Amino acid sequence: MQITITVNGTTHTRDVEPRTLLVDFLRDHLGLTGTNIGCDTSQCGACTIHMDSQSVKSCTVLAVQADGADLTTIEGLANGSLHPMQQAFWDNHGLQCGYCTPGMIMSATKLVEGNPGISEAEIRHGLEGNICRCTGYQNIVKAVQQAAGEMGGD
Amino acid sequence: MLGKSIFRDDAHGKVTGSALYPGDIEKDHFLHAKLLFTGQPHARMIRMDTAAAEAVPGVVCILKAEDVPVNEHGLVMLDQPVMVGLNSKKPFSDVSRWEGDRAAMIVAETEEAAARARDLIEIEWEQLPVVTSPVEAMRDETIIHGEEPSNVYKHYRIRKGEMAAGWAAADVIVEETYQVPMQEHAYLQPEAGVSYIDEEGRVTVEVAGQWTHEDQTLIAHALDIPKEQVRVIYPAIGGAFGGREDMSVQIVLALASQRLREMGINRPVRIQWTREESVIGHHKRHAVTIHTRWGAAKTGELTAIEVEMILDAGSYNCTSNKVLGNAHLTVAGPYRIPNAHIDSYAVYTNNCPGGAFRGFGAPQGCFVAESQMNKLAIALGIDPVELRLKNVLREGEASITDTPLPAGISIKTVIEQCADKFEEPFSGAQVLPRSFQSLPADPKALRRGRGFACALKNIGFSFGFPERSEAYVELRGRGEIDRVVVRHAGADVGQGAHTAFKQMVAEAVGVPYEKVEGVFSDTAYTGDSGSASASRLTWMTGNAIRGAVEKALTLWKQEERPAVGFFRYQPPPTEMLDDKTGKSNPNITYGYVAEAVDVTVDIETGHITIDRVVCANDVGRAVNPNLIEGQIEGAVVQAFGYAVTENLQSKNGHILNPRFSTYLIPGIRDVPQKVESLIIEEPDPQGPWGVRGMAEMPFIPLAPAITAALYDATGVWFNELPLTPGNVRMRLKNTLVPDLT
Repeated sequence: MQITITVNGTTHTRDVEPRTLLVDFLRDHLGLTGTNIGCDTSQCGACTIHMDSQSVKSCTVLAVQADGADLTTIEGLANGSLHPMQQAFWDNHGLQCGYCTPGMIMSATKLVEGNPGISEAEIRHGLEGNICRCTGYQNIVKAVQQAAGEMGGD
Repeated sequence: MLGKSIFRDDAHGKVTGSALYPGDIEKDHFLHAKLLFTGQPHARMIRMDTAAAEAVPGVVCILKAEDVPVNEHGLVMLDQPVMVGLNSKKPFSDVSRWEGDRAAMIVAETEEAAARARDLIEIEWEQLPVVTSPVEAMRDETIIHGEEPSNVYKHYRIRKGEMAAGWAAADVIVEETYQVPMQEHAYLQPEAGVSYIDEEGRVTVEVAGQWTHEDQTLIAHALDIPKEQVRVIYPAIGGAFGGREDMSVQIVLALASQRLREMGINRPVRIQWTREESVIGHHKRHAVTIHTRWGAAKTGELTAIEVEMILDAGSYNCTSNKVLGNAHLTVAGPYRIPNAHIDSYAVYTNNCPGGAFRGFGAPQGCFVAESQMNKLAIALGIDPVELRLKNVLREGEASITDTPLPAGISIKTVIEQCADKFEEPFSGAQVLPRSFQSLPADPKALRRGRGFACALKNIGFSFGFPERSEAYVELRGRGEIDRVVVRHAGADVGQGAHTAFKQMVAEAVGVPYEKVEGVFSDTAYTGDSGSASASRLTWMTGNAIRGAVEKALTLWKQEERPAVGFFRYQPPPTEMLDDKTGKSNPNITYGYVAEAVDVTVDIETGHITIDRVVCANDVGRAVNPNLIEGQIEGAVVQAFGYAVTENLQSKNGHILNPRFSTYLIPGIRDVPQKVESLIIEEPDPQGPWGVRGMAEMPFIPLAPAITAALYDATGVWFNELPLTPGNVRMRLKNTLVPDLT
C-alpha cells in the first residue's frame, strides 16, 4: 500500500506491506534508528514517538494507520539546540545505557505540555508505560520536573 | 578531576537518538541472519533436514554444527557447543541440553526469508529425560554432560574450627531453609550485532558485550583462527548487568562472515534478536537452595555456622563455578565466625543456564547470612544493628577462609552511617500505599515495618584468575600537553565508565577533562581490559591508567613526541580455595554496603510498597558522584525487582514467561519512592586514589532488608523470593496472621 507520512517536517511517500509496524517503517524504511525496540509486546515504551498531537508507542501502530499523519521522532525534537527535555535528561543524569531514553523523552515532552508545575505523582503516573532498567527512575523524575518548568507549559 | 560529577560524554547521542546500538548500524548490502533454537531441554538429534529451508528464495547459506571448526565455547569451561547437531567433531554435541541451544544459523537476503527458512528446517529428536530439579540431578540417574562422571561438577568446602565446640557455645540456634529464584537481566536492548571482513581482512563483529578480548578469544577458538584475525568492536551498549558476558550472537556472526568469505561473498551480516529470543537465549541469575544453621552466644557473638548450598547451574557452566565460589563465601557474611562447616555444590540440570548477574552469587549468599542475622537478633533480643557491630570482621581477623580480608575493611563504618542516616527524619514525600494501580488500599490492612541488612562483595576476579588491565595513554603537543588520548577496551555498558576513565586520565596527567580523548572498546586499538563486571572496571582501569600515565610522562620529559605510555596492571595474585578446608586468600579486595528500608505491606492483598531506602556504600573515592548515585539507585530498583516483582517461571526446562507482559520488571510507579544514597569514602589501600568498586554492592542487601521489614510488619518470616502479592498473601494466610481472614 502507498502511504504518505510527514516525519520531522519531511513528507515521505512509500509503498509498505499492510502489516508493517510504524516503528519498523521509521527504522528500516527511513533509517531513523533513534526510535528503539525493546520488547515487541508494547510494555517498554522505547519506541514512543509523537503522532499528530499524541505520544504513541510506534510498535503498536501500523504504518498504514499513520497515513497522512504528522510525526515527530527523537531525531526531530532538537531545533538547532537541544530541546529542554533532552538537555534536562543530560543535566540530571537521567540516563545510563540510554536505550529507553528516546522513548522516555518523547513521552515526557507530551506529558508536561500545559503543566509546568507537574507533580512527581503526575510524572510517575504519566511515565508508567516507559521502562528503564538502569537508573531507578529517580533522575528521570528530576529531569522531567526541570524541563517542565523550563518549558513553561509549552 | 576526581569527585566531580562531569556530565557523561555519551549523553548527547543518547538524548538525540544518534547513538548507535548494535541493531542500529547501517551497512551497504546487508545480509540478514536468524538463529534456530533447538527448543529441546534434553534430546538427541537424529536427523536434520534443511532441504526445504535451502530452497527458500533468498537463502544464502545455513550453518550447522558440522560447520563450526571447533564446536565449543564457555567463559570458564568449554562445555557448551556453538551449535548442537550432527557430524560435529566435538563429542556429545548432538545433544541439546537447553531449550536455548542453537541448531542452525540461516543467512538470507531478507529477515523474512531467513525466518521462513528457519521455520522450514526439520529436525527429528530422540527425547531424553529432562532433569529440572538439582536435587534429582544430584542422584546422577541421567547424566547431562556425557563426558562428565556426575552432574555435580563443582563442590567447595569450608572446614573451620571445631563444630562441636561451636554448637556447645551457642545459646541460640536458628535453622532454616531458603530458596531464591532465577532472575532475568532484561537489559532493554535485545541482543544484536553485525559482522563483516574489515579492511585488514579480520573477521569483525560489532556487538554489545562486556569484554571485547574475551569475545575475540572465544570467536578465534571456535573458528580455529589466530586471535589477530578477529576484531571485536562495541558500539553503544543497551545495558548488560552480567547478561552479556557469555556468547550470544558473537560466534555465530563471525562464523557467518567466515563462511561468506569462503563463498566469495563480500557482504556484511546482521542479526537482531526479539525480546523473547533474548530471554530464552541467554543465562540467568542462579536459583539456589540453602539449608543452614547458625549459633550464637546470648551475648550475641556467633559461635558456629553450618551450610549446605545447592546451586542450579542449568545446562552449561557459563560462570557458575565462580558464582558458586562467591555464594559459598558470602553466605558467611562479613562476620567473625570461629567454627564453620560449609558445602556448596554446582549441579547441571536442563534448566536455562545460570551465570553472571550483578552481585555474582553474593545476593544469594547475603540473603541467607542477613536473614539469619536478623532472626538471631530477634531470638537474642539484641538490636539487629548492634548484633552486626558485635560480629563484623576487623582488620587482621580471620575471615571464613581462615585468612584476614585485605586491609581497608569498612563494614563497621557503612553499618553505623546507614543506621544513623535512617534515624534522621525522612524528607521525601510520603506515598499512599496502593493495593493495585488504581485501587487505594484499605488502611486497616496496612502494616508497616523496618529492616536492615549489610553485605560485602569482592572486587575483581577471584580464585587465582590472572587479573589484568591494559591501558595506553598518549600525550600530544610540543612544549605543553595539548591533548591526551587514552586507549582502553573497557566496556561502557551504560554505567558511564568511559567518562570515569577520562576523569582519571585527566587527574593523573594534570590536565582539564576537555583535553582528554578516548578510543574505547575495539580490539584493533586497545589492550585487554578484562571484563566490565565484578565491580572491577573503574578499580582495575584506574590502576592501569596511573601506570600508563606515569610511563608517558617519563617519555614526555625525555622529549618524546607524542609520548605513548603502555601499562599492564596486575594486582596481587589470589588463590583457589583449598579443596578440603577452603583456606585461601581468594580475593584481591572488597567493597562494603549497608541498607535500611521502610516497607508497607497490605496483608489483604500481599502488595508491598517500599517507602524509603537508605543505602550506605563505601566507594573508597568517588570519581563521579552523580554516576555513583545512578548506580546505587539503579541497583536498588533492580534488587527490588529481584525481591518483589520478577517471577521467572520455568516448567520442564521451558521458560514460561519470556516477555515483559508476564515477566514484570519494575516500572516507575512500582519502585521505592526515594533511595537515599550515602557515599562513604574510606580509601581502599590498593585502589587507584583509594577507589573501590561499587556497582554491584547496592543490589546485594536489599532483599534481606525487605524480609526483615516484613517480619517487623507482620511477624512472619519469608525465606523464599520473589515476594509477589500472591506469594506474600499465601504465606500470610498460611501462617495465620490473626486478623487475616
